[in-house]
Amino acid sequence: MSYNILEINGLRKHFPVKNSWGSEIGSVKALDGVNLKIEQGKTFGIVGESGCGKTTLMRSLLRLVEPTSGSISFNDESGFTDLLGLKSRELRKFRKSIGVVFQDPMGALNPRMLIKDIIGEPLVIHGQTKNIIDRVVELLENVGLGKEHLYRYPHEFSGGQRQRIVIARALALEPRLLILDEPTSALDVSVQAQILNLLNDLQKKYDLTYIFISHDLSVIEYMCDRLVVMYLGRVVEKADTEELFSNPQHPYTKALLSATPSFDKKKEKIMILGDVPSPISYHDKEGNELATELTEQEKLEIKSIEGKGIDYIVRSSLNEVLPLIRISDTHYARIRILND
Amino acid sequence: MLEIKNLSTNFNTYEGKVEAIKGVNLKIKKGEIFGLVGETGSGKSVTCYSALKLLPKSAEIIEGSVILNGEDITYVSEGRMREIRGGEVGIIFQDPLSALNPVMKVNEQIGEVLRLHREEELRSLSEIEKISLYSSKKFTLSPGVEFTIWAFCLSFFSLFTMIGQFSFGLPFLTIIFLFLIRDFLQKDNPESALDIMVLDSLSKVKLPNPKQIAESYPHELSGGMQQRVMIAMALAGNAKMLIADEPTTALDVTIQAQILQLIKDIQKENGMSVLLITHDLGVVAETCDRVAVMQSGKIVEESTVDKIFSNPDHPYTKSLLDAIPKGGKKRLITKESNMEVVS
Repeated sequence: MSYNILEINGLRKHFPVKNSWGSEIGSVKALDGVNLKIEQGKTFGIVGESGCGKTTLMRSLLRLVEPTSGSISFNDESGFTDLLGLKSRELRKFRKSIGVVFQDPMGALNPRMLIKDIIGEPLVIHGQTKNIIDRVVELLENVGLGKEHLYRYPHEFSGGQRQRIVIARALALEPRLLILDEPTSALDVSVQAQILNLLNDLQKKYDLTYIFISHDLSVIEYMCDRLVVMYLGRVVEKADTEELFSNPQHPYTKALLSATPSFDKKKEKIMILGDVPSPISYHDKEGNELATELTEQEKLEIKSIEGKGIDYIVRSSLNEVLPLIRISDTHYARIRILND
Repeated sequence: MLEIKNLSTNFNTYEGKVEAIKGVNLKIKKGEIFGLVGETGSGKSVTCYSALKLLPKSAEIIEGSVILNGEDITYVSEGRMREIRGGEVGIIFQDPLSALNPVMKVNEQIGEVLRLHREEELRSLSEIEKISLYSSKKFTLSPGVEFTIWAFCLSFFSLFTMIGQFSFGLPFLTIIFLFLIRDFLQKDNPESALDIMVLDSLSKVKLPNPKQIAESYPHELSGGMQQRVMIAMALAGNAKMLIADEPTTALDVTIQAQILQLIKDIQKENGMSVLLITHDLGVVAETCDRVAVMQSGKIVEESTVDKIFSNPDHPYTKSLLDAIPKGGKKRLITKESNMEVVS
């Protein structure tokens, strides 16, 4: 039976921007009303460029940043938990059920700790110290490493092995949900393939739910069952993976799909012109939305691209906030409705 | 254009010799984009750094030769090498923020390249236009000196005002006033030849408001703009050959598409040769004409892009292509990577 392991409603996180006197002059809307339902046992993908709020979303799931408003609820065998209502002691207990794998494995591992201590640390913190070495060995074997790696330091491993250690540590407390924040972006393709295979095996073995954050669309397409595309703190399109890749609706999604380098030379190209708007300037004092006029750079780039037969969209046209429209039962996008 | 013949480079480490590249042969023709693909540690960067002699002291070139435009540059002097780097061969590195100097303004950094490699053009430009060579005729002082003058004038002015001799303080007030309207007074002063050429090279890479960008520091620019500045710098010396070492790895896919398009455009306009080093096979498929695949210091396959992606000969190339995730949940085919230390 499938149920939603995680439900996020209207999640907002606004970081205040202050001037040098300390008074608030605006805000960076890192998350602006995000609604997500994540199904148990599936892989849920989040795609977007840097600065679109992927990482803030992940951090607010762990309450590493306090969301401004909204609600997050987590369901598992023990019942229903309102994540934002937890007190600090309960929160610490709760964090057991969510594991995290970060992007840079070397940054996530303490260079002065042995592997046995690194993987054993979450167990010690949560008081599961019985037969700890056996448990650590079991975890290591799960990720394709072995007993001989127990008494080594992180620098003695290659990038792929380090990422395996991080995954083993994330699994130490038997979480129900694993958040993978760009787990393979620092790795070569062949090592990446090994890690992706490992993740798929583990998912089958432990019936895990993954939240997979990445900017590499080929990885997302391979791993995810359902995914959302984020742009400037909002979800602009959500759909099942196959549907999204075969029938993208939002202009940004279309451009993103076509921007991914591929071997297919006949593929239709859509360029995105212009630079990412500064997250601070995109709301002025009165709270007006971002300007939708062309910027200087966009004019320049349009001029250079014209007559080459390349389709393009401009970033300033993406600044307008449109409502999320239902396209099919599982497919939603923020697009303008065409009047028939 | 660039020809690398049987090049081998060793690194001397405490544990023995590491043969980073072993007998690499490459030939890059005029006006083509050549891709060099391989995994981490396969020796792609070492190949290009050996060709430009940018290697650390622990490395030595064992054998082979590098020929650039008919000139053998394997054993030329360091002085000639400096002329080549930045002059005939421009280089773009992976991370633009660490390749740009954080305490120098963009115009100073590009100006440095121009001064070193295009001195004659600068001189002739300044003679024809009758403008100064390097410094514009704008009155500027170093921040320290400026602060001292400000403090001096302000304190004397207030001192004289306090003791009731306002008229003695007036000259100091005038100096402060002149400082304040300095920019307005100098608005129409002509720019120097260097400034003109800096702005010219910035507008070649399609940066908007070149004047504003020239006056800014690297951290004030976005990642895509920084990479554009890097490209402008690489091209400022009138390079006939561009070496791009993973130019888009640090960028988002949409920005990556813009930068690759820019490199293609510039290559077409100037008829340059480009050596693109990358680990992303997709990037190669989109931009390059010919491609070489490297594995543990050797080139295992070299052919046109179309051939390599449709019908690869070497098993390693096949395994690289198989490792790329595609749609459908088929298990990916992997192999153990093979790095070897020879002692």
